[in-house]
Amino acid sequence: MATGGYVGKILRVDLTARETSVIETEKYTEWGGGHGIGSALFWDLCKDKTVSGRDSGNVLTFMTSPLSGTMAPSASGRVEVQGIGTAGYPVNWFTRSNFGGRFGGQLKQAGWDGIVLEGKADAPIWLDIINGKVEFRDAADLWGKDTQETQQLIWELKENEEHGWTEIGKTRDSGRTTQKPAIITIGPAGENQSSLGCLVHDAGNAAGQGGFGAVFGSKNLKAISVVGTGSIAIADPAGLLNARIWAKEEYAAAPGQKVEPNGPTFGVDPAPVFLYAKNPDGPMGPQACQGCINGCRARFDTGIANESSCQETSMYKAFDTLAHGEGTDASYIATDLVQKMGVNSYELMQGIGYLYALSKMGVLGKGLEIDTDLDMSRVGEADFAIDLITKISNREGIGEDLADGFVRAAEKWGRLEQDYAIGILDFPYWGYANHGYDPRAETEWGYSSIMGDRDMNEHGFNANFWSVIKHMMAGLEMPVSAEEYAKITTAKMVPYDDDPNMVDYSTENIYSESFAKLVVWQRHYTRFWKQSALYCDFRYPDFTNYNREDNVGITGDGEPKFWNAVTGQDLTFLDGIELGRRIWTLDNAIWILQGRHRDMVQFASYIYDIPLENSLVGPYYPMAGKVDGQYAYINVLGRSIDRDGFEEWKTHFYNLEGWDPASGWPTRETLESLNLAFVADALTEAEKLGGE
Amino acid sequence: MVDKDNNSVEELAPAEEKSTISRRQFITGMGGIGVGIVLGGTLFKGFLLPDEVIAIPASGGYLLVDSKKCQGCNTCMMACSLTHHGVENLSLSRIQIVQDPFACFPDDKMITQCRQCADPKCVSACPTGAMHVDDETGVRTVDTAKCIGCQECVNACELNLSGAGWNFEEKHAQKCDLCLDTPFMDADGGPGGQQACVAVCPTGAISFTTEIPVQTDAGYEVNLRDEGWAALGYPIDDEGKVSPAAAAAASGH
Repeated sequence: MATGGYVGKILRVDLTARETSVIETEKYTEWGGGHGIGSALFWDLCKDKTVSGRDSGNVLTFMTSPLSGTMAPSASGRVEVQGIGTAGYPVNWFTRSNFGGRFGGQLKQAGWDGIVLEGKADAPIWLDIINGKVEFRDAADLWGKDTQETQQLIWELKENEEHGWTEIGKTRDSGRTTQKPAIITIGPAGENQSSLGCLVHDAGNAAGQGGFGAVFGSKNLKAISVVGTGSIAIADPAGLLNARIWAKEEYAAAPGQKVEPNGPTFGVDPAPVFLYAKNPDGPMGPQACQGCINGCRARFDTGIANESSCQETSMYKAFDTLAHGEGTDASYIATDLVQKMGVNSYELMQGIGYLYALSKMGVLGKGLEIDTDLDMSRVGEADFAIDLITKISNREGIGEDLADGFVRAAEKWGRLEQDYAIGILDFPYWGYANHGYDPRAETEWGYSSIMGDRDMNEHGFNANFWSVIKHMMAGLEMPVSAEEYAKITTAKMVPYDDDPNMVDYSTENIYSESFAKLVVWQRHYTRFWKQSALYCDFRYPDFTNYNREDNVGITGDGEPKFWNAVTGQDLTFLDGIELGRRIWTLDNAIWILQGRHRDMVQFASYIYDIPLENSLVGPYYPMAGKVDGQYAYINVLGRSIDRDGFEEWKTHFYNLEGWDPASGWPTRETLESLNLAFVADALTEAEKLGGE
Repeated sequence: MVDKDNNSVEELAPAEEKSTISRRQFITGMGGIGVGIVLGGTLFKGFLLPDEVIAIPASGGYLLVDSKKCQGCNTCMMACSLTHHGVENLSLSRIQIVQDPFACFPDDKMITQCRQCADPKCVSACPTGAMHVDDETGVRTVDTAKCIGCQECVNACELNLSGAGWNFEEKHAQKCDLCLDTPFMDADGGPGGQQACVAVCPTGAISFTTEIPVQTDAGYEVNLRDEGWAALGYPIDDEGKVSPAAAAAASGH
């Protein structure tokens, strides 16, 4: 049944039998949307949760939220992807990623709140979804094509591909649209089941982390195309419009104008986020996901690396600069290529650094211990990037080792422990690449990642790092003191809003219960509001907003306001966070069934043994922290994580969650208080229920 | 360049329903070709469109767009369908943004919105007076009660992407009315009021004017980019060909 925001049906696809069926969304709406529904579907439908990511028993979910395809600002365009991944080490954890663009809106307009993929096709296929009609189509002609070629070939199959109204049914009343079908596809990396394989949509949207490209490849699924013309019901249309205008006028940058620098928050200016050594200087225009309050990307006069932003644009920066003393076209070419081949740029960036270190050590190169024809003297040149990306994507030569991830390659080469020990293999948690926000300095990023399943990629607290850095670089005074930042931020962190010490990044505080509250809050906030309601990580949470006189951001007020206007519910900000706790606990139960125990929850050894001396931008890493009892912006470099301190912190964390600190497993009492008795039963059966 | 309305007649309304359906439903059910035959004669046009057509008053306002400033978020489209119909549906929007993610700027986006033409072909083509000029505001708009679903207005529009569209959910023609009839918007719309698309556009790529714009091949595509836009790194020349960096270099700054 379609109600406010939901369109009522989830498409269940049996790839083995090439059959589809319908799951009523109503059965799962208690989980909100996105990740919550995805986890619940996975729990119900993946019978053996211990299978590997590439096993046909793996279940992959694509979930929208009630906000997808609506005017809720910066919440309309994202789709949550979940299933057992292929990138996690030593276990292919049940994991998540999401991607922006317009796929979610088209899926909703086609009448589907989500898609569940099960089984494995016997030959390459792609799914063609046109409103309620779903076809399994032969992908023989698409297999081997890159992500751009694949999408263009599918578009060419559609009638009236030129700009114009396209009738998508047989009668004029069966719907028409001017929009190209939205397509999510793999490139060669996914086809060859590389754990670096991404799912790519349009030019620059990708579910990159987790290795879902390999899952598509293992299921012989090249792409999903969707176009829809149906309506999405809105409970309070006028209220939604008013809320959008309120958000624009009160919190967003003035239209088309530069504003006070900030990190990725609601109030930043609508400029693309480039981290190239030399940013493109040709003409370009802005580009945003559906419904974004202010986009973060661009399209260029060259068309090269269209829609790429942030980390993708820094992927080759260091090596390009090393080779040329400045940024060159090699960076744009490398960025463009990862999008086309569908390769995870985070892993590639840290991986190239690792290969470079091994070559400098005389270990890797032609005729050396790790024998490869990869020409390491060409690092930083476009041809090196092309050669490496192609080898990984096609599993050629050294690419056969690297295609399963750089950590697994190191293990295969017998170098894992020694290269962790000296810190050249910069993959601190679960085999995932360091995001650049190192656990030793920006502790919440590391803690959230290691308590979860992957590099967390959530910028809520990290935004303050960027705010201070941007002001430092521009020679500007920060609009808020560290004391004011802490006050504004912790006041929004319900139910822990009475603890002002949560954002204290001083070494004295990072093993405390207060710092455990920060991470618990982050796990619960993001699980619901960002990954289930699907508010974009680059705009939410919005703690400090410099477009306002009081510098207080939209978070806390905005998230439920848009949700309720769309759904007609009366959800509070705290209700959402509590639902996030429930979803996060369910995720943990899945990891526990996969083998998770407190003792496994450890960073790579260099995080404990080697102090961090540099951030992404140099010898300073400013965060809020207390000095002599007063908040200041402090430099958190020069430290490593203390093993005993981290153990103390984990105990605080498990206690706050109501999980057994001895094992890290939830107790029956906690599970039942979250209405998760069925999870307690499953953990009891597996002999993995936490002790009271 | 584009076949605006290539309706098929493969699925006609069942004959047994004809006795109970309205004139609009009857013609809708016949499909485009059938309608063309009927309306190509004099049956409707003869009495609904007299020869003595009088001068049509100018519209009280116009939407101007700048596709080079558009970020392609489609928020205007969602606002349009929301305020007019109470639902989110890009297909029901009277302003349309068409994009190619792989194309080179500035050819990656196209915006089509009704121009409120001085000589509105959609109004002239309408056999029933449903597509009409509003007495008070001059806005070219649809009286849906009179619309018989013939889509003559859709075909008559000379824009590449017709400014008049077919609402396949409610079964009537529709077009931009400058938010004159927006049951799901609290503020007053129409000339002098609020236009939902203008109100929500994040970058300021849509504006409203009461001055009759100069009609060119580009339509009401204008340059809405200012120095603030250049400060973000985007070109502000009319053609979108000169980046701010190149402009600064050329001027010696």
